[in-house]
Amino acid sequence: MNREALQHPLYVMVHPFNGYWDLKYERSQKTSLILSFGILFMLILTNVLGEQYSGFLVNLNNPRYLNSLLEAVYVLVPVLFWCVANWSLTTLMDGEGKFVEIFITTCFALLPIVLINFPWIWISNFISAQESSFYYFFKNFAILWSGLLMYVGIMTVHQFSPSKTIGTILLTLLAMAFMAFLTLLFFSLVQQMIAFVSTIYQEIVLRR
Amino acid sequence: MVARIKKLRTGLLALCCLVSLGLGGELALAESAAPSYNYSYWGNAVAAPSAYEATTLITGASSGAGPFNNPQDIQVTADKQIYVLDSGNNRFVILDQDYKSVKTVDAFQFKGKAEKFNNPQGIYVTQQKEVYVADTGNKRIVHLDSSFKAVGIIEAPKSELLQANFEFQPVRVAVDKADRIYVMSAGVFDGFMEFGADGVFKSFIGANRVHVDAVEYFWKSISTKAQREQMVMYTPTEFTNLDINDEGFLYATNGDDYGDPIKKLNAQGADILRREGYYKPSGDLLYSTRSGGAPRLVDIDVSDSEIYAVLDASRGRVFTYNGDGYLLYIFGGIGNRLGEFNTPVAIEHSGDDILVLDQALGEITVFQTTEYGRTLNSAVRSYYNGDEEMASREFSKVVNLNANMEYAYAGIGKAFLRQGEYKESAEYFERSMDRTNYSKAFLLYRKEVLRGHFSTIMTGLIALVALWLGLRMFRKMKARKKVELH
Repeated sequence: MNREALQHPLYVMVHPFNGYWDLKYERSQKTSLILSFGILFMLILTNVLGEQYSGFLVNLNNPRYLNSLLEAVYVLVPVLFWCVANWSLTTLMDGEGKFVEIFITTCFALLPIVLINFPWIWISNFISAQESSFYYFFKNFAILWSGLLMYVGIMTVHQFSPSKTIGTILLTLLAMAFMAFLTLLFFSLVQQMIAFVSTIYQEIVLRR
Repeated sequence: MVARIKKLRTGLLALCCLVSLGLGGELALAESAAPSYNYSYWGNAVAAPSAYEATTLITGASSGAGPFNNPQDIQVTADKQIYVLDSGNNRFVILDQDYKSVKTVDAFQFKGKAEKFNNPQGIYVTQQKEVYVADTGNKRIVHLDSSFKAVGIIEAPKSELLQANFEFQPVRVAVDKADRIYVMSAGVFDGFMEFGADGVFKSFIGANRVHVDAVEYFWKSISTKAQREQMVMYTPTEFTNLDINDEGFLYATNGDDYGDPIKKLNAQGADILRREGYYKPSGDLLYSTRSGGAPRLVDIDVSDSEIYAVLDASRGRVFTYNGDGYLLYIFGGIGNRLGEFNTPVAIEHSGDDILVLDQALGEITVFQTTEYGRTLNSAVRSYYNGDEEMASREFSKVVNLNANMEYAYAGIGKAFLRQGEYKESAEYFERSMDRTNYSKAFLLYRKEVLRGHFSTIMTGLIALVALWLGLRMFRKMKARKKVELH
């Protein structure tokens, strides 16, 4: 992987239209995929470190109940849900993106969150309560930036019109909610089935 | 082989130890048998040393006045005389410091006629030892002077503020220094009734607000007038009790599930209770329906330094808060042992002791401070009086007795802040989860550090910039050389 490939995510951040175009048509997919996983990993790392090491004034977590694995899940599950929901929808809506492309686009769009939040973990240790508004401003700014990148990315990867992209994004969010509901339903049913089997087992064992 | 088994066994043992450690470290639940606990910043119930312990049980028989029958209220004067309102026997009994009966009053003279009480529910004794009795059965307030002769009687008032079918059923009474009389009357939702010193009704103060949930509001808004009249009327919650402090502020408890069950009312009837603590003062935070459901606060008692205690009848517990609304300690319970109650109805302080009246058993339980309670009380008092050094010393002792007392760390932090030890101060505020004060201390500390190292920081910055410029020039020169070579 050469230096230019490594710099491409940064290029996408500031030139989303050109960057995503290059990503879809010019770049090697394998390299981009590796970079995407790298970004995802860094996001998880940022989240875990942020929960643990953010300054006292902005860190409202109970350290006793922090779980790094769960923090990873909080990042991975939404990203995967988003990709799956978007892919399922856009195949029906004449989107040109493949699943891998959607995944890469999504991960590249998350880079501003990593780059802005990571330094703020340490800076937040040196700020006062009044200055904490900067902290929250930059957090929101990062999310907005990511949202914008996501929008441009989805538009480019599927070759959609701007208004259709907005519609797709809204529908994707709806589909995510639907998926979450189905997953919960599934797990609840499995749980009940296991409970049923274990009860029967107990009944038989205790009968002797 | 043997070595391997041994290894396995030590491993298992270690695992067991770890697991049991984890179990031992479980937080004490409010529902558990742990007699004394407090709520941490995170809202968990954590074990705490007991601040008060029951020492004496006073019954009517032990005081020499004959058994109490359904007593409803007690009042303690500054010289520690206890006035017990023995409602079932239509009398009040005065006990001295040794809890012996000195006087029983069951009748009084008014306008040359002998009068009696009829199921009185509330009693208040002023500093001049004048006695006010809410004579509920007779629908009047009786005002006796210190020699128990009737000075005045307040009957049902007449006013435009009152409805035509108004029924005057005074159940609790309190009197401030200016002899204004505050009456809690059963079935009145407009707040407390305020009477002037002359016994003339003035107005209502401090009505609770109605809580309407969104669903209810929606149905009401789409229903017709006829339908609305069929619906349940929403009336504000009634107060359950009141007390008055030295400055004349009313402290009141009510049965409000949604709003604030404890209120401090000023002369306009506005609620000015400080709620700066980790959560609003409201009794137990964690409870189950099995153990009696939400706290039902039935009495409040204000002592000096704005410390106040409330009595929860559903679990028989006493919760004591300081003026800022931090929970200091919890004691009591429902049960059959000393220090537990059947149906607690009233709470009073006598010096540093706390007295709880049990209606069904006709007993008064006297609680006295333990060393922990004494230290904590004295710390809170010295802080209230502005003696921060003393407070800090006492809070340090409190922390030694109970490391879970997060509030105490703030007390130490404040003393450090005053002394200019900003770093230590910030550390203590962090331990107390006090973000506002932490920020103050931290800002001062940061300023101090930056000022102390200003020259170092500036030199470092300038050196970095120079280095960067130098590097750039060096690179440019190199590039130029390459071009020249080609």
